[in-house]
Amino acid sequence: MSEHEQYLAEKEKIDQLLSEGYNIYHAVENLDGAFVEFFHLKSGTKKTLHIRTANARKYFSSIFIQQKSS
Amino acid sequence: MADLSINLAGIKSPNPFWLASAPPTNSGYQVQRAFEAGWGGAVWKTLGDPILNVSSRFAAINFNGQRVAGFNNIELITDRPLDVNLKEIYETKKRFPNHAIIASLMVEPKQEKWHEIVKRVEDVGVDGLELNFGCPHGMAERGMGSASGQVPSLVEKQTYWVKEAAKTPVIVKLTPNITDITVTAEAAVNGGADAISMINTINSLMGVDLDTWNTIPHVAGKGAHGGYCGPAVKPIALNMVAECARNPRISVPISGIGGISNWQDAVEFILMGAAGVQVCTAAMHHGFRIVEDMIEGLDHYLDSKNISAVSELIGKSVPRYSDWGNLDLHYNITAQINTDVCINCNKCHIACEDTSHQCIDMIKGDNGRSYLKVREEDCVGCNLCAIVCPVEGAITMVEQTSMQPMTWNERQAALNSSK
Ligand SMILES: Cc1cc2nc3c(=O)[nH]c(=O)nc-3n(C[C@H](O)[C@H](O)[C@H](O)COP(=O)(O)O)c2cc1C
Repeated sequence: MSEHEQYLAEKEKIDQLLSEGYNIYHAVENLDGAFVEFFHLKSGTKKTLHIRTANARKYFSSIFIQQKSS
Repeated sequence: MADLSINLAGIKSPNPFWLASAPPTNSGYQVQRAFEAGWGGAVWKTLGDPILNVSSRFAAINFNGQRVAGFNNIELITDRPLDVNLKEIYETKKRFPNHAIIASLMVEPKQEKWHEIVKRVEDVGVDGLELNFGCPHGMAERGMGSASGQVPSLVEKQTYWVKEAAKTPVIVKLTPNITDITVTAEAAVNGGADAISMINTINSLMGVDLDTWNTIPHVAGKGAHGGYCGPAVKPIALNMVAECARNPRISVPISGIGGISNWQDAVEFILMGAAGVQVCTAAMHHGFRIVEDMIEGLDHYLDSKNISAVSELIGKSVPRYSDWGNLDLHYNITAQINTDVCINCNKCHIACEDTSHQCIDMIKGDNGRSYLKVREEDCVGCNLCAIVCPVEGAITMVEQTSMQPMTWNERQAALNSSK
C-alpha cells in the first residue's frame, strides 16, 4: 500500500468515527505516531485510533482545532 | 530615474553600493577610481597597527565551470602606516565629498587604543567608522577580529569605548563564525552601535593538493585557516541579515555583506532588511565597473515596480521570514512535468526514486514513446525534481487546494491544551 493509500485508509477511519458522532478529545504522540482518543458524548464511549501517516496526523489535528473553536 | 541614495545611520551615499573593507579599498588611488566608476561608498581596508602579510594569500573554488564560486583569503588588515592611509582618506574625501568613506578599525581590546585611533581617523573627515570584529584569521590569534567578535561582552565593551570618543556613526561589523549572530548584534546595540554590518568571512580551508599534500593555499608548505566569501556564502549572509532584521531588540540599520555579485543579490539583501550593501569578491573578480550594471539594474527594477526610492524597499520581505513553527503545515504544492519541453533525461525520476518520495514514473504512451509523469498524490512538493531538472520550465511546482492553514505551533498548542 502506498503512503497515500495508507493516509486515505486512516482518514476514512477518522471520518467514520466523526460521522458516528465521536469527537476527538485527546491525542498522545510518541515514536510510533499518534494515538488519537475519541469520545462519544451521548453514549459515553471512548475509542482510540493509532494514526501513523504524516498527512493523517495533520488531518486529525486540523479537525481537533476546528472542534475546539466551534 | 529612481532615487538610489541612502542614509545609513546618518551616513549618506549616492547609491547603496559600497565597497567592503578589503584589497579593493586598500589605497586612495583605488577608492578614487572606484568612486569614478560609480560606487557610492567605500569602507577603507581595516586600519590598525600595520601588519605583516604572507604570500600566497588567496584561493578560490571553481564549481562546474563557474570561476570563483567561493573565495578564501589569509590576508590580514592594512600593512601601511596609519598616517599614509589618513592622508589618502583626506585627499579622497576632498575629491569626492558626496561619497561615503567609512574607516574600518581594529585595535587591541583596550579603551585607550580605541580612543586614539577613533580620534586620529575622525580628524581627516571620515563619514563613519566600522569596527572590524570579524576577521577570522591571524588577527584573531592576537585577540582581535573575530576573537573579540565572538564574545558578546567584548563586543559591547569595545563598542562602548568607541562611542565614548566617536563623533561619526559607528557600524559594528560582525563575524559569522558564531552560532547565533543576533547575540553579538544585540551586544553591539547595547554598546551603542549606530548600525551593524555582516558578514565578515567564514573560517575555511579551501582544499588539499592531492599530489603534494599541501593545503590550498600554502605558505612554504604550511597552511592556516582562512576566511571564506563570495557567491557561495550569500545564503548564509542573507539569513544572518534577516535574523537580525526581524529581531525587535536589534533596532539599528544593517549594512549587508556576503556574496553580493549583482543588483539582484543587492535587492534581496535590501528586501531582507539591509539599508545598503557592501561588495568585495565580485569587485575582485570582475573589477570596479560591475557597479554600472548594479546601478542600472536597480534603477530599472525600481521603475518596473513603480517605486521612487530604494529606501522604500528596505525590509519589505522581513515580515515574510519567520520561525519554522509558524509555517502552514497544510500548504501543498506538487510537481508537474511539461512534456512539450521535457527532454526525457530521467534526472527527475532518478532523484525522486533514489533520494526522495518515489513519485515520478516513466510511462509508455500509446504511440510507444515514453514520457515522465508525477503521481501527484504521492508528491510531497519537496522541489528536488525541479532543482535537478536541466531544462528551464520543464517542471513547475503547482499549488494545490488544501485545508485551512494550520501551523506546527497552533497544532501543538491545541494538542497540549487537551492534556
Ligand atoms: C582578501 C580579502 C581581504 C579582506 N580584508 C578585510 C579587512 O581588512 N577588513 C574587513 O573588515 N573585512 C575584510 N574582508 C572581508 C570583506 O570585507 C567581506 O566582509 C567579505 O569578503 C564578504 O563579502 P564578499 O562575499 O562580497 O567578498 C576581506 C576579504 C577578502 C576577500
